[in-house]
Amino acid sequence: MPQQGIFQPLEEPMQVDASPEENENVKDGHTIVENTTLDLDSYAKQYEGIARLNRLIFIADHCPTLKVEALRMALAYVQTAHDTSLYQQIHRRLQEIPSTLPDAVANLPPLDNQWIEMTIKKGQLKLEKLDTDLKNYKSNSIKESIRRGNDDLGDHYLDMGDLCNALKCYSRARDYCTSPKHVVNMCLNVIKVSVYLENWSHVISYVQKAESTTGRTEDVDPIVQTKLKCAAGLADLATGKYKAAAKNFLQASFDNFNYPELLSSSNVATYGALCALASFDRQELQKNVISSSSFKLFLESDPQLRDILHMFYQSKYDSCLTLLEKIKNNLLLDMYLAPHVNALYIQIRNRALCQYFSPYLSADMHKMAEAFNTNVKDLEDELMQLILEGQINARIDSHNKILYAKDIDQRSSTFEKSIAMGQEYERRTKALILRSAMLKYQVQVK
Amino acid sequence: MATSLEQYVGTVTHLSEQGNFLKLSEFISKSAEFLAKNASHLDNVIASLDYFETLYVQTQEFIFNCNGEHVRNATSNFADLCHKFTQYLMDTRQPAQAMRGIPILIKAINKIQLFPSQLTSIHSDLCKLCLQSKNLQPALQFLNVDFVDIGNEGGHYDAKDFLLYYYYGGMIYTALKSYDRALYFFEVAITTPSMAVSHIMMEAYKKYILVALILHGKIPALPKYTSQVVGKYIKPLCQPYYDLATSYSTNDPNDLRMNVNKHSEVFTKDNNMGLVKQCIISLYKKNIQRLTKTFLTLSLADMAGRVQLPSPSEAEKYVLRMIEDGEIFATINQKDGMVEFHDNPEKYNSAHMLLQLNTEMQKCIALDEKLQEMDRDITVNSQYVQKCTGLHEEEIPGSSNIKGQGY
Amino acid sequence: MAAIAYDSESVAELELQELESPGGIAAPNVYINLMAMYLLRNDLCNAKFLWKRIPSSIKSSHPELGHMWSVGQKMWQRDFPGIYEVLNREWPENLKPTMNALHESTRRRAINLVSKAYSSINMDTFATLVSVPLADVNKVAKAEGWTTDDDTKMVTPKKPEAPPDPCLPNEEHLSILTDYILKDS
Repeated sequence: MPQQGIFQPLEEPMQVDASPEENENVKDGHTIVENTTLDLDSYAKQYEGIARLNRLIFIADHCPTLKVEALRMALAYVQTAHDTSLYQQIHRRLQEIPSTLPDAVANLPPLDNQWIEMTIKKGQLKLEKLDTDLKNYKSNSIKESIRRGNDDLGDHYLDMGDLCNALKCYSRARDYCTSPKHVVNMCLNVIKVSVYLENWSHVISYVQKAESTTGRTEDVDPIVQTKLKCAAGLADLATGKYKAAAKNFLQASFDNFNYPELLSSSNVATYGALCALASFDRQELQKNVISSSSFKLFLESDPQLRDILHMFYQSKYDSCLTLLEKIKNNLLLDMYLAPHVNALYIQIRNRALCQYFSPYLSADMHKMAEAFNTNVKDLEDELMQLILEGQINARIDSHNKILYAKDIDQRSSTFEKSIAMGQEYERRTKALILRSAMLKYQVQVK
Repeated sequence: MATSLEQYVGTVTHLSEQGNFLKLSEFISKSAEFLAKNASHLDNVIASLDYFETLYVQTQEFIFNCNGEHVRNATSNFADLCHKFTQYLMDTRQPAQAMRGIPILIKAINKIQLFPSQLTSIHSDLCKLCLQSKNLQPALQFLNVDFVDIGNEGGHYDAKDFLLYYYYGGMIYTALKSYDRALYFFEVAITTPSMAVSHIMMEAYKKYILVALILHGKIPALPKYTSQVVGKYIKPLCQPYYDLATSYSTNDPNDLRMNVNKHSEVFTKDNNMGLVKQCIISLYKKNIQRLTKTFLTLSLADMAGRVQLPSPSEAEKYVLRMIEDGEIFATINQKDGMVEFHDNPEKYNSAHMLLQLNTEMQKCIALDEKLQEMDRDITVNSQYVQKCTGLHEEEIPGSSNIKGQGY
Repeated sequence: MAAIAYDSESVAELELQELESPGGIAAPNVYINLMAMYLLRNDLCNAKFLWKRIPSSIKSSHPELGHMWSVGQKMWQRDFPGIYEVLNREWPENLKPTMNALHESTRRRAINLVSKAYSSINMDTFATLVSVPLADVNKVAKAEGWTTDDDTKMVTPKKPEAPPDPCLPNEEHLSILTDYILKDS
């Protein structure tokens, strides 16, 4: 009988040493893209500073065909700033490219040691000067100068690629802000560096801080406002909150959009449109996206995306999904979008399936499969999942391959729920009554 | 050495059979030193002295004939007697002997209880004997009662007896396949206030996981009042069971089987392999139930494929069994090899259902009344009143009485 | 001799008899009757534990107990053809009526299940499920009011009728409902 043995302690604690590699999820961030229609030159020119470098390096990491070109662009661009270690790193990577690509290595300029030395020296000198300046301002306690001094120091650290120190300096400026405008400026600086550091909760909280500050002033700078919306949208996207992301991006104003240190206008169009497709219902899509005059301007730059939106809205799912598939590779080369492309695509497809069926009482699954570029068997699997998740209220007649809408009998389900609730109440209350007796007589394992 | 002990036993039994007590007492008082020398063998000697029946009959007589009012004034001694008696029967390791204790303990509980919904420490003894004798039925009359009070056995009720009662009770219900009630019993055991790790609690926790999987297909959240000890120390010790629940949640029977095989040694050692196997069956059933939510019709072959059963005929067996048990509503069409799924035919419009609803409501109302009664008891408790009003004793009118009561 | 009664009272009485047996071991007859009752009630959990606690000496002196439990095992697996197969043996005279009753109740259970679970069923399957010769399928189905088709070899069962709804004493019920509402206020 099993009761024997429970009085004695077990000789040995139970095995808990499951091998760690089983529990670790392999990060699927390393998708390799072979074919792309990306025009690297014009792509890169949309960004400034660290944003441009980060994006080029991301492409080099994920697209073998563009690797050399991306790295060479990055190499040339990095020399306009003071980040010598990044320069050396990029140069090393270029050198490591196997000689099967001869032109890459052959035309590689040698490591510019002189530039490195000079830049380090210049950077050091500037740092010392800014530091002394700041000390002077502090001893004179002129608030405005201290604020500027901190900002300048932050800018310089950023220029040298020292993100952590840049963040510290920008944050320090906070105590010396004397006007709402200063506060907003400080927030924008912190947001920028936090995006580079991918510290998204930081981004969100500083966006909120800035918005609550601008909320109080009369004249809100529309450029700042758009920047804040875009930064918030980016943070939402990165943390998988697609609906919130869509709402933020849709509030960006095209005429006041100028944010090369983080995003391009085509980023706003892509991120906004995809998040909206994945999370908006038909009405929201119509009201907030299709007929938004401001967002229309963003979409102008990307006719394919505009087509996708319209086809989705017009229920032309077949061509919509085909077109989405076509642009997928380019999206996978976007450093912020890449980790979310698959999730977004699945949600868009599910939304399309639900929307397709919504007006019907019954639908022929053969036709439906055709409309979604798939076969009946795979469609059945997809539908099954959606029904189980409660996204579609329907049942599959697998024999005749027809999908039937299911209306829920409110009366019966109410009865069902109340009986279940009564039983749960009974159970919980009994347990509580017993528990009060336990406490009364101090039954406790010691 | 052993032989001289045998001689000793022989003499003692011989003399007592003869009724020659004078000689016997003389002999015994002389042999104290001899016995002390052989202390290590005395247990065996006692076993060979056949006083088992005497003791049994004496206990039986006492419990059947004692005055209930009297023993209720010595509850802890009385309970102690029952514990020792139980242990004594258990030590025989004979199911038949354990069973002989059952009617006596039932009598004992009836004598010591003030009312039927009062839990005593003897309850756990009864369950123990029922399990040992493989005769579970007699325990049900007590297990089916929901206790509202605990016997005050000399101001002391051992948490171990409490835990054992709910653990054994859970096991009995599990054996009789009353999984819902079993789950409740294990839950009570797990949520007993606790400052230290109890092995009974840990075993209850393991069974709780398994029964929950069989019944609900997942581990329900434990109530908020669960002691921290459970999450902190007991959970980590039940990792194989958690692994099982995780693989169960993937709905993939192969993954579940893999996990079962991986931890089979632990499950077997814990005497839980039978329940684990039922978890596997319940996953197949759960997957079939999921199908009924998504399909109106499905071929048996497709069904077997989707729930990973080896053949359409195996799938048909499962469906047939589930229809008989009311776990799904479906019709098999052998002509086309299809299954047709239906909604629950219950329309909640029959007189029968109305009566059933009525009983449910009565139960809830009765419980609610009980709660209000308990609430009233608290509100008139002077200690409580004092605390709530924030007044000092002197300030309460008539506080001299309260003082007198020694709060 | 009629089959034994297996209402709850008779079962409880016999359970008590076992419990109070001197020495904790009951007379073989008690075990045999209990086993029969549990089987007739389809109470297999209790049948299983009964089998586990019967002393092995009685099991070997009364082999029919083992045969009875093998019926229980088949019932546990819901293997209808298996049940009929193990039932089909020469039982001691005193057990014959009971085992016949068990055979009949199992058949009844199978017929009910078929009517509940099948919209069409193969004659072969039907014959093995309810233990009738293939030639008699038509007759048995007709007796239930079902149709058969000799071309397709299919039986088409009818759904069982819902049990009659108990009649509610309206006034009494109304007064109960009134009580609920009054209690609340």
